[in-house]
Amino acid sequence: MSAELQNKAIQAIEMLENAGADDAWATAIQSRDVEFEYRDGALEKVKDTTSQALSVEIYVDGRYSSHATTDLNPERLQSFFAEAVAITRALEPDEYREITPAYLFAERPTTHLDLVDQAVFGIDREQRLQWCEILDASARDNERVISATGGVYDGSQISAAASSNGFRGTQESTYCWYGSSVTLRDQGDRRAEDGFYAGGAHVSALPAASSVGRTALERALSRLGAAQGPTLKTTMLVDARAAGQLIGRLLRPANARNVQQEQSFWSGLIGEQAFSDKLTIIDDPLIPRGLASRHYDAEGISARRLPIVENGVVMNLYVDTYNGRKAGMQPTTGSPSNRVIGTGDYSLDALLAEVGDGVYVTSWLGGNADSTTGDFSLGVRGHMIENGKLGRSVGEMNVTGNLRDLFSRLVLVGNDVYPYSSTLSPSLVFADVDFSGV
Amino acid sequence: MRIKRREFLGHVAAGSAVVTMPAFLSGCGVQTATAVSEATPENPFMSWFGVDQATTARVMSELTANGADAADLYFQHSRTNSLTLEDGIVSSANSSIEQGVGLRVVVGEQTGYAFTEDLTLPSMLAAARTSSAIASGGRVTPPQSFNPAGAGDMYVTTVPWADVGINQKLPILKFVDEKTRAMDPSIQKVAVYWADADERVMIATLGGKLVTDHRPMTRLTVVVTAKKNGEVQTGYSNIAAREDFDWYTEERLLTMVQEAVDRTMIQFEARRPPAGEMPVILASGPSGILLHEAIGHGMEADFNRKGVSIYSDMIGKQVAEPFITIVDQADIPNERGALNYDDEGNQAGRTVLVKDGILQSYLHDEISAKQYGLQPTGSGRRESYKYAPMPRMSCTFMEDGPHTREEIIEAVDHGIICETYTNGQVQIGAGDYTFYVKNGWLVEGGKVTAPIKDVNIIGNGPESLKRITMVANDARLDTGGWTCGKNGQSVPVSQGIPTVLVSKMTVGGENVS
Repeated sequence: MSAELQNKAIQAIEMLENAGADDAWATAIQSRDVEFEYRDGALEKVKDTTSQALSVEIYVDGRYSSHATTDLNPERLQSFFAEAVAITRALEPDEYREITPAYLFAERPTTHLDLVDQAVFGIDREQRLQWCEILDASARDNERVISATGGVYDGSQISAAASSNGFRGTQESTYCWYGSSVTLRDQGDRRAEDGFYAGGAHVSALPAASSVGRTALERALSRLGAAQGPTLKTTMLVDARAAGQLIGRLLRPANARNVQQEQSFWSGLIGEQAFSDKLTIIDDPLIPRGLASRHYDAEGISARRLPIVENGVVMNLYVDTYNGRKAGMQPTTGSPSNRVIGTGDYSLDALLAEVGDGVYVTSWLGGNADSTTGDFSLGVRGHMIENGKLGRSVGEMNVTGNLRDLFSRLVLVGNDVYPYSSTLSPSLVFADVDFSGV
Repeated sequence: MRIKRREFLGHVAAGSAVVTMPAFLSGCGVQTATAVSEATPENPFMSWFGVDQATTARVMSELTANGADAADLYFQHSRTNSLTLEDGIVSSANSSIEQGVGLRVVVGEQTGYAFTEDLTLPSMLAAARTSSAIASGGRVTPPQSFNPAGAGDMYVTTVPWADVGINQKLPILKFVDEKTRAMDPSIQKVAVYWADADERVMIATLGGKLVTDHRPMTRLTVVVTAKKNGEVQTGYSNIAAREDFDWYTEERLLTMVQEAVDRTMIQFEARRPPAGEMPVILASGPSGILLHEAIGHGMEADFNRKGVSIYSDMIGKQVAEPFITIVDQADIPNERGALNYDDEGNQAGRTVLVKDGILQSYLHDEISAKQYGLQPTGSGRRESYKYAPMPRMSCTFMEDGPHTREEIIEAVDHGIICETYTNGQVQIGAGDYTFYVKNGWLVEGGKVTAPIKDVNIIGNGPESLKRITMVANDARLDTGGWTCGKNGQSVPVSQGIPTVLVSKMTVGGENVS
């Protein structure tokens, strides 16, 4: 299968060269995705699909364009490519546009990433239905439940890439996830809701379906009786799952494109102690079974471990070849893989005890951040922390500040890494955070 | 510096896309299909997808072989072109084609779904068999042929985007770049992003209906970065519509440029407001994001048939002041959220969500309509052939009220007025929602004073509706390119509102101690 896709990519390169491209990059992708969803005791949705797509990047007379299609009919592909080359010729030349230089393909790692589990291909209808039934029963095991939807999501993807300057590569992966969302009757017309989903590349990454359903229910139960929290400046403990999302916001402008466009608060920070010394972020594409593991990135750059922040000092940014050339930076990789956040010694309970009084944030609701300045304001849900223990459930609050400033006030780091995300973060504690509520 | 908002409004209203809503809508009822073409194999959409009546009937027959209450084939071909101007040159182009057919079977509340990008008969039959596995043993009589519905006229264009050459588009990007740079010496970077799309859909239903729609879309965005005394600020503006090339008049482009530069420059003076609860004025137009988040999603009937929305038990109840009417309407010509037919092939039209303060109707797709014993409201939408449809909004807005913008500002002693937004989100069950305010102003002693920026606002849907105490008479739809995401599917939407006062909302800000 992967050889066949590789051929499609190579054929695309030949067709593009015949159409007039000086250089070309092609990626062919094929995926299978199966979705079984179960709601309130009955199967609600079955989706079973196989999908294909071809994407290309072309370089003509110092000009660049990218194209994608799901229509792989050879004749129509030929006219699509001819048009693509014509579009490219009509653009302005850009001296920084150049196909990924071959030296960046060199030394591709051979680490066994273990991203394909044959057992995923063996999951059948009966297995999915059985998981759905267990998820459903455990998620609905409470008299307050109005509705619970559970689902099993599994599949596989193969991609093959080829370039006119000799790149060849294929990557294959499987996935298997399941989980539930639960809605409970709360005060008045209000409903409390939450969910939990777990999985990974291998079937063995799945916790027992009953515990996943139960966790979803428990998360929803903890939202019961949520009231608006107070307006105050206090300590913020962010749970591991929500912390990964916050790190994602922090890293969004940590790349050459944002820096080159002068839209990044990371500009000029390389080598600087920009954040608390408790903060370490390593981009590691070579973690076996990692959710974003890979041997090469979308430009074909060989994967390697890339420290972004070490003990608060900025080490590297995400640099693709084009924006790297424009900004005068050496390419690293333009796209994040697994982001591993440095851990501390504290369990969640120990963090609560250390915090004493503050707000425990378990999820975000909306909000945004300005990439240029780092100014952010986010809706939060969670609990008050009182005397080192979890207190009442709160919501309808905002937390507001500046991302660089916030991460310079990272005071404690947990050891409780959330495994179901490509950002592997523990719980994080920040001092003196502005909350707005009642 | 002040953003001259009123002037800006007057300026744009002279064009055709932005109009005050009531006058506009009064002349625009639900469009009825007039021209019905003959069911021939020469149907241009069938030819486009390389199928005919017999093939389509054959696939439908396979799809419903195990029974079905409803079933449809959703053929789609979507061609998108985009251009990027950065650092003074149009240095990259992108085009993409998405083509495929989605095959859906519905039995009660159960859905079977499959799609294929290979539109040959064997591939479609295989996908039909996969999809049909949800059903077991029922019997239906599939149609032998499909009867074409009339073409809609919500976005008739003279020249399809496919026929507009890149040479015609480039000068627009260059013009926007040059005009933006000329606006202020502190401007360091200008980026201009162009997108146009031609989408063809053909829906064949178990009921024998054949609905076709050609949906154009275009969007233009300008991003400005400016530097003053070492401080850098970024702002942007965009415009979007189901329009053709002629829509891009010089006046419209200059308005967008002015807006982007104003939004950027004001940030050098803007600060965070104090944190906490306060009265919030939502300026007309983009503030329709309030309706989208605080009530729109909660009124989508899939959430209500499952009982998971905070609005599930509120139909017929007084939810707002009697001068408040909130509508979701797809048949507004050329708006980004406009539709002739929804993605189940039903006529898209006007659904009154709240009339004179009373909750009226949910937004229904066929599944929910059947469960409630109602007609679908034409709200079944999907991102593409890769997805099953569900109830979604189109153009959501509030009609004019009895007050004026000036009266509303005068009524606020300590509060803020919100002008522009980047995004919002809602929790359907609890009703808590948020939206992020990019630009706004403090209101002190009944007067607009200092600029503010970057604050999230959070509230509870039903509570906020009750707290809308004043509604002005300046309703308008926003021309920005809003996209709504739900369960992993994105669809284009529009939103609008007159200036309103919400007596209390929670504003993210700084604690002054």
